[in-house]
Amino acid sequence: MNILTLLIFTPLLFGLIIILMPSSWRFSFKYITLLATLIQLGLSIAMYLQFKSGPEYAGINAEGMFQFVQKVHWISLNLGSLGKMQIDYFVGIDGISIAMVVMSSVVMVIAALASWEIQSNLKGFFSLFLLLNTAVIGVFCALDFFLFYIFYELMLLPLYFLIGMWGGARREYAAIKFFLYTLFGSVFMLLVMIGLYLSVKDPLTGDHTFNIIQMMNPANYDSDSIFSVLAHKTLLGMPARTVGFVVLFIAFAIKVPVVPLHTWLPDAHVEAPTPVSIILAGILLKIGGYGIIRICVGIFPEIAVSGAYWIGLLGVISILYGALNALAQRDLKRLIAYSSVSHMGFVLLGIASLTPEGISGAVMQMVSHGFLSTMLFFLVGVVYNRVHDRDIYHFRGLGSLMPRYTALVMIAFFASLGLPGFSAFVGEAFSLIGAFKSPSVNGALPYWMAVCGSVGILLGAAYFLWTLQRMFFGSLTLKGGEIWKSALTDLNTRELFSLFPLALLALVLGVMPSLVFDKVNDSVLALVHFIGMK
Amino acid sequence: MNDLLPFLPGLLKQVFDGIPLFMPEIYLSALFVVLLVTDLLFGKNSAWICKIIACGGLIVIAMKDIEQLKLLLAGSQLFFSNMLLLHDKTVAFKLMIDVLSAILLLYFDWDDQLASHKKGLTDLYSIVIATVFGMHLMVMATNLLSIYLSVEMVSIASYLMVAYRAENGISSEAGLKYVLFGAASSAIMLYGISLLYGFGGSLNLFGGNLLPGLMQVNPLAVALALLLFFVGIGFKLSFVPVHFWVPDIYQGAPAPISAFLSTVTKIAAFGLLVNFLTPFIFFPGFSKVFDFGLFLSVIGIITMIAGNFAATLQTNLKRMLAYSSIGHTGFALMALVNFNADKQGITALTFYLFAYSLANVGAWMLVSYFSNTANAENMDDFKGLGFKYPLASVAFVIILISLTGIPVTAGFYGKFLVFSSVYTVYEISHNIWFLLLMITGAVTTVVSLFYYIKIPLNLFLRKTERTTGFASTNSYLLVSIAIISLLVVCLGLFPDFLVK
Repeated sequence: MNILTLLIFTPLLFGLIIILMPSSWRFSFKYITLLATLIQLGLSIAMYLQFKSGPEYAGINAEGMFQFVQKVHWISLNLGSLGKMQIDYFVGIDGISIAMVVMSSVVMVIAALASWEIQSNLKGFFSLFLLLNTAVIGVFCALDFFLFYIFYELMLLPLYFLIGMWGGARREYAAIKFFLYTLFGSVFMLLVMIGLYLSVKDPLTGDHTFNIIQMMNPANYDSDSIFSVLAHKTLLGMPARTVGFVVLFIAFAIKVPVVPLHTWLPDAHVEAPTPVSIILAGILLKIGGYGIIRICVGIFPEIAVSGAYWIGLLGVISILYGALNALAQRDLKRLIAYSSVSHMGFVLLGIASLTPEGISGAVMQMVSHGFLSTMLFFLVGVVYNRVHDRDIYHFRGLGSLMPRYTALVMIAFFASLGLPGFSAFVGEAFSLIGAFKSPSVNGALPYWMAVCGSVGILLGAAYFLWTLQRMFFGSLTLKGGEIWKSALTDLNTRELFSLFPLALLALVLGVMPSLVFDKVNDSVLALVHFIGMK
Repeated sequence: MNDLLPFLPGLLKQVFDGIPLFMPEIYLSALFVVLLVTDLLFGKNSAWICKIIACGGLIVIAMKDIEQLKLLLAGSQLFFSNMLLLHDKTVAFKLMIDVLSAILLLYFDWDDQLASHKKGLTDLYSIVIATVFGMHLMVMATNLLSIYLSVEMVSIASYLMVAYRAENGISSEAGLKYVLFGAASSAIMLYGISLLYGFGGSLNLFGGNLLPGLMQVNPLAVALALLLFFVGIGFKLSFVPVHFWVPDIYQGAPAPISAFLSTVTKIAAFGLLVNFLTPFIFFPGFSKVFDFGLFLSVIGIITMIAGNFAATLQTNLKRMLAYSSIGHTGFALMALVNFNADKQGITALTFYLFAYSLANVGAWMLVSYFSNTANAENMDDFKGLGFKYPLASVAFVIILISLTGIPVTAGFYGKFLVFSSVYTVYEISHNIWFLLLMITGAVTTVVSLFYYIKIPLNLFLRKTERTTGFASTNSYLLVSIAIISLLVVCLGLFPDFLVK
């Protein structure tokens, strides 16, 4: 049994078990979910340890170079003279995917631990949680565009219900906004996907195919097809390949999110319950970044090269706009949501630089932000669970009341703002190194973009440290007075058990980033070589 | 009379040759008679016997349809002096109609509103069998006269079905509206047919002199005749601008009848349209006289926009489903603009119609279910029902997701196939209208999510304090709903199964 297929479908299996179990056993659902996510974590670590590195396993644009591959004929519809519609169940891992998969597994375990706080409709919650789990891991592993699209869309429905049923006060609005916004991007992605399908022929069978890796090879395109490099077709007056790239980029940019397509994020993150916010911030945002690397840059490299300036510009705008918005927030969860927008801007900047340092930095930033945003949202959830209030100005001097909590908050805040020694520093530093290197090496980005990125780090320090000072230092003053004081107990074992590994991971990855970089390096080099850069 | 004598043996031979190709329809007429007689014989107890006979009979007829495939090995067959055409796609359409009608017949007496009719439902079963006969003829018709005959047959039977609960004011109002609208559009269609006959000199679509004759007439006149004809077809298919009857009739008619109208009659009308368009598309040079591609694209775009955007404003579930079926018709029209020698467009259309019909039957069954148990007709009535009826509500979510076209359901694959077929023809012809069709299809999919999700929104995300007014209902209904939603998901995962 292929380990990837096991990894993807184990949560679904457990989800079905939970659906079939009687409701009277509801106390066991959270343990079953935790078991499922732990199994997933075990499988992903096993894959990580077995992952071979080296240039022959770089696997960006060659099927043979991917690892743990499983390719099975799934749908083949005979369409008369148009040949057969060939859709395969094709999954595989390369350097970039492995980092995402391991990070997602860890985040899922923490999200399962955070789900302890859910009180109502446990069966529905945990089965939707596990369905979401399957879809998310599937997106990272899929190498057939149809399969990728199915997993990508499959994420939306559980999230709608998870936000809408267990969320905060404005949950209905946030849920439908999220669903409509993301579906809008996805539907146009479907159109481009079909266009690519009709343009590409599998060299082995001669049929049209959805194989992403075949789509990366310009030789596989029909000479007269709409997305062929040589044919220079136009769609609505613009070059067809540019339109394809832009449409796909918009679909993923909604997920990343890139300013100005980010407006769903503050609502969705804030109104979602803690475990769902953790999954949203920790994993879903990375799907956007991963999609840009794998699909946008992979299938349309020449457009990525010519549009790198604009992608970098959007990244810089995200960094600065997200940080400025975070600075203005009163709600702690909203502040962290906007800080996510800002940090994902670094990912975009790193990708736009088209250098090995930049793209490695982008991947590292995705992994590091996955862990750190999980930690941040979990920490917000701790306070919210106790007093149902997240307003920064309602708390003062929590440090004296909850020392262990404050220690972990300090670690999380310092790590997130990019203190050297923690993983975020490595990610941001490498993205900026790539951006600084780009003008001299490939002329993709100008110097001022890297400078603006650095200013973003400064702003990050500003809002995080200011919040730390406002909420945790000084004398104890709480809006709710004595009631709140008695409610605000320090971290219990479960919460400590969830937060401590994340802090440890942030520190370990900051001191030994080779854990990520070693696996990622070959694929990044292959990608840069594939784009035609140095 | 004597002049005809030499031709008689030839004509008779033609008729007898056509009979093997007409077997399912002969069985249908026999079934109709058997049903009438059974009803008379058994009187009061006849309901369940008639039901079994009707459903069983339809299954037998479905099997006869499959047997007809053997007769088609030599290619498609025109018979009864070119009045009817049998084609393997025709068999597919007939099969879909039979299977769906059988499911719908089972469903008729599970709806409390319909089943409480004083006279019982046995007459309804006979009317349905007659409608199925008419629909078989619609799908096979290739002569303007047979087209009109079959459309009228189906129309008159549907008038009876809609007005079946005539003592109910809403139902008889819907019936009357349907009759008036239907009669008017039939008359307009007949006028269009007579103009076509006048221009062409023949009623036969294949062979005959119709198309060469039309080529010689002023294009404006031909366009007028064809437009009048399309008013009649459009009435059955419910595309703009003859869609106004749909919301009122679907709301007024009992839920099973609306299910019948929105699925099976649409399939038959699409089959008719395919047969009608084929000779025009393949006749060289006809596109200069009347561009069907452009016409269907424009109608498709307007229908999709009108149906989907109007549905977002609805508060009554039945009306919402009515407008959504208008939107789906617009989407299915997309598949018809691709008319090459290969069958990709028709395959896409067939799969899309089946996925849509299956999900729609499920949706209307759920309308009955919730109307039986919780008396829920408006969106607001559904608040909080998700926790009281979890299985039905989850099934409702799955079915609505299929209607929207989100993976991993049959509806997604149907939309995907239709998009592929339009893209294929766009690649060749680069007609801007095809691109606009696809973009409109994508945008209206997102819009449709907005109104489809209102039901799960109310079912699960909102709570109610209501504790009274709940009844229990037939568990068969719930079981069939569950089976349908399971089928929808399985077809989404393994669509090969259907296209065997």
